[in-house]
Amino acid sequence: MKVSLFITCLSDALFPRVGEAMVRLLAKYGVSLEFPTVQTCCGQPAFNSGYWKEARDSAKTILDAFEDSDFVISPSGSCTGMIHHYPKLFEDDPIMLQRANKLQSKSYEFTQFLVQVLGVTDVGAAFPHKVTYHPSCHGSRILGVKDEPLALIQQVKGLELVPLPFAEDCCGFGGTFAVKMADISGAMVSEKVDHVLETEAEVLVGLDMACLLNIAGNLRYRNEPVRVMHLAELLYEGVK
Amino acid sequence: MADTHKQWLEKLEADSRAKQEQFMNDIAAKLRHPRMALKPQHPFRGAPDFWNAFEWSVEERIKQFTDNFLSVGGHVARLETMDEAKSFIVQKADEMSAKYVVRQNQPELDALDLEGALPASKVSVWNTDSEQYWRARAAEADFGIVLADHAVAYTGSVTVLSAENKGRSVSLLPTVLIIIIPIERLKTRLGEVLATFDEAGHDHLPAGIHFISGPSRSSDIENDLTIGVHGPGIVYALLVG
Amino acid sequence: MGTGAKTGATVKARADLALNDEFLRKAVRFTTERLRNGKKKATDEHGNWEEWRERGRQIRLHTIAHLDYYLNLFVNNARANGVHVHFANTAEEAVKLTLDIAEHAGAKSVVKSKSMVSEELHLNHALESIGVEAVETDLGEYIIQLAGEMPSHIVIPAIHKNRYQIADLLSKEAGYTLPPDTTALAGFVRKKMREKFLEAEIGMTGCNFAIAETGSMVLFENEGNARMVSTVPKTQITLMGMERIIPSWADLEVMATLLPRSATGQKLTMYMSGITGPRRAEDADGPDEMHIIIIDNGRSLQLGDPEFQELLNCIRCGACLNACPVYRHIGGHAYGSTYSGPIGAVLTPSLNKNIAEWDDIANASSLCGACYEACPVKIPLHDMLVYLRRRKVESGNGSMMESIGMQGFAAVMGSSARLGGVLRLGKLGQKLVVRSGVIKTKLGPLKGWNTYRVTPSLPKESFRDRWDTLDQELKHGLKQMDPTMQNRMEELVKKREQEEKQGKGGHGHG
Repeated sequence: MKVSLFITCLSDALFPRVGEAMVRLLAKYGVSLEFPTVQTCCGQPAFNSGYWKEARDSAKTILDAFEDSDFVISPSGSCTGMIHHYPKLFEDDPIMLQRANKLQSKSYEFTQFLVQVLGVTDVGAAFPHKVTYHPSCHGSRILGVKDEPLALIQQVKGLELVPLPFAEDCCGFGGTFAVKMADISGAMVSEKVDHVLETEAEVLVGLDMACLLNIAGNLRYRNEPVRVMHLAELLYEGVK
Repeated sequence: MADTHKQWLEKLEADSRAKQEQFMNDIAAKLRHPRMALKPQHPFRGAPDFWNAFEWSVEERIKQFTDNFLSVGGHVARLETMDEAKSFIVQKADEMSAKYVVRQNQPELDALDLEGALPASKVSVWNTDSEQYWRARAAEADFGIVLADHAVAYTGSVTVLSAENKGRSVSLLPTVLIIIIPIERLKTRLGEVLATFDEAGHDHLPAGIHFISGPSRSSDIENDLTIGVHGPGIVYALLVG
Repeated sequence: MGTGAKTGATVKARADLALNDEFLRKAVRFTTERLRNGKKKATDEHGNWEEWRERGRQIRLHTIAHLDYYLNLFVNNARANGVHVHFANTAEEAVKLTLDIAEHAGAKSVVKSKSMVSEELHLNHALESIGVEAVETDLGEYIIQLAGEMPSHIVIPAIHKNRYQIADLLSKEAGYTLPPDTTALAGFVRKKMREKFLEAEIGMTGCNFAIAETGSMVLFENEGNARMVSTVPKTQITLMGMERIIPSWADLEVMATLLPRSATGQKLTMYMSGITGPRRAEDADGPDEMHIIIIDNGRSLQLGDPEFQELLNCIRCGACLNACPVYRHIGGHAYGSTYSGPIGAVLTPSLNKNIAEWDDIANASSLCGACYEACPVKIPLHDMLVYLRRRKVESGNGSMMESIGMQGFAAVMGSSARLGGVLRLGKLGQKLVVRSGVIKTKLGPLKGWNTYRVTPSLPKESFRDRWDTLDQELKHGLKQMDPTMQNRMEELVKKREQEEKQGKGGHGHG
């Protein structure tokens, strides 16, 4: 059984601690992840901007990296969601299309794998803090990952979960959107942070480092001390 | 003038028929199929099956209709007989000093003898005099009184159909609308009423089919609800029987 | 105020105006939230919403896929009912037909109920150019007509105006001062419109649905003005998009279930009217003469286009606007066209097949998918926005800078070795801008981003730098996997292989 880690370029470059937490947590269940180093980026920035040729170049590294994996696990609903676009991206190339379909059917977002495949909701973590949760759009809407993270969070001992107002509203990241439409994106992230602050939570937890980078960036800009964590980090810290 | 108008309409129709072919051929070409002459299989017609099997008891229908109609600001009275309906109308006309009343020309409403019961009001019976401009009679009316052709409990709606003796204006232009609903006409689902129009077919439908679910309303100013913007602002549904 | 029509040159410029208009943002937020909550409550209460959505989608897909049959059937039936049916390929043709009818009716005034198609044609100006007064009778439409603006929402056209602004507009019309009180303002409009309904020679409506099998047209409304304009004047003109068709009254039940709940959270609008031809000879009201103008104006360009044909399934409920976090912040005018919000961002360039001219309209989305989730007929608007962006790039109309950037992206991301190199360079380069662990510079590409955020610096080690150490540590003493987990994983792999053999797959799990 070959279980592979799809680290995503953002976690690779900026947040190695998230990948590490995920790998260490899964090791507790005897899951030995392998890490094919030929992987780069899923291609989403190019795909969403309309540069599909460039997106294909990038996507090919992912298809190559996980060709013979049985399971592909990633700490991002958005990047896993991008893999769901591969069949469309390669629709004119029958061979690549077949590979794309295959990859899609074996790709899992981290909580999806933990809950749906391993059948784990209680990792035995304790985390005595007030926490709020932002469900990222692509994970919840493209992959349908809605219940899994909540099931995991609810089992953490001592954790007080405060509902985030307008939780399902986009944080305003949207990849190149945050640069091209900087002011609209800025308005969106500012409102998201207003809602986070309303909860008076000590910790904001999520499943996508892109969204969390965005929200944390605005929190720091406003000198707000709310800690921002990926759920894998929170769970791992709770079992350490 | 009449002739030239007719000629103009005929010319428009000729143009339209010519263009119709081009229009439909263009659609078929874009859809990449030959012009479709035969009715296609439509496996998804109408509501899902589980829905079509759904039906409430009479008592439940009455309760649901009432709840729905009240929730949008309408009024409902549950009455045993047409006599009670008559007393209800007379009392309301008295309360609100209704000077002008217009009603549909139907035997059930004739039997109420509102003309006799409301001596202080001018009661007009729709389309009983071809010299009248009936839209204006309806527009000046304080009360419009109609008999429902159908009603739907699930949406809290009443259906009125137009005819020679049943003007569309009677349920639209007066300030207050009173609708009498014989209880056996109250169905559970919208689909039960809509099915009758499919069955009738185009040459047996009236010009106007109107579902009314409460008083006229608007939320166009600061999303603040206003009642009675164009249509009747006060609507009574009398469930009779 | 950023509430005027098309003030800036680009979506971005117009959005900036809106973002600086605190009132507009508050008003839009307030109303869209209300509508969104109303929809949620109504759909939860109704239950089985996903099944209804799917049914609605199937009916629309089926009708559009056989549009030549159903539209033709509608036309023949409507004509048999005594309707004068006309066809317009373009907005100009539709306007010409309308003016011709108005002239022959000797019209001095036309009373109109809300119609997005009419907005698309800019019909009011055309009517006025031949001396015919056009009166919008829907309260919201009347307000924006007095203000000389475009609707900023498909369902609530004056969503961006407050009661004080509305009182000013109506007072000017009244010739005396009206209080900023909703009831008083609506009361003034009711009285004024009563006269207009009774004196107008022509009533004009849009068309929510057209029923092919009986040639009937259906209108959904709350105020009663659509009934007025189709009951009182002698001539009725209905403007109908060619895609408004549904096969039968049975199908209307599904649309009537989806539309009001999605638009306003109502179980049904206060009025739903099915009109089948002009008044019968013996009737004492209803129009003597009824015209239906069937309008293409770019709609047929979507037919046969696998990426965009579903756009014609839209039932104009506005739910995507209410769900959209971008619309929430910038309102409808920022989109710069008749249709706003996610549906507008896709529909406008699609109807015109000129994505290049629409500059950045398709970029005004974070692709969060809230529009798709809200859509009662499941139109994948978020995917369509990406297709529009791709078509713009492929037609050679992409931005030069972006294009160079994306080629660079592909060069780096096409190889892990180059990615590693770039990360090492980045760690060197950031030394110039990192202050206490974060980057705050507002120069270069981070300008827009850092106006609202600070950026973390690259850590000393990337994940790939750390992997070997980590891997060795964990492999050493890795525990045995629980046999039930092991089994489940093996079963999943087996199942996947079977599905693959059967030619399924590609649909994932979850």
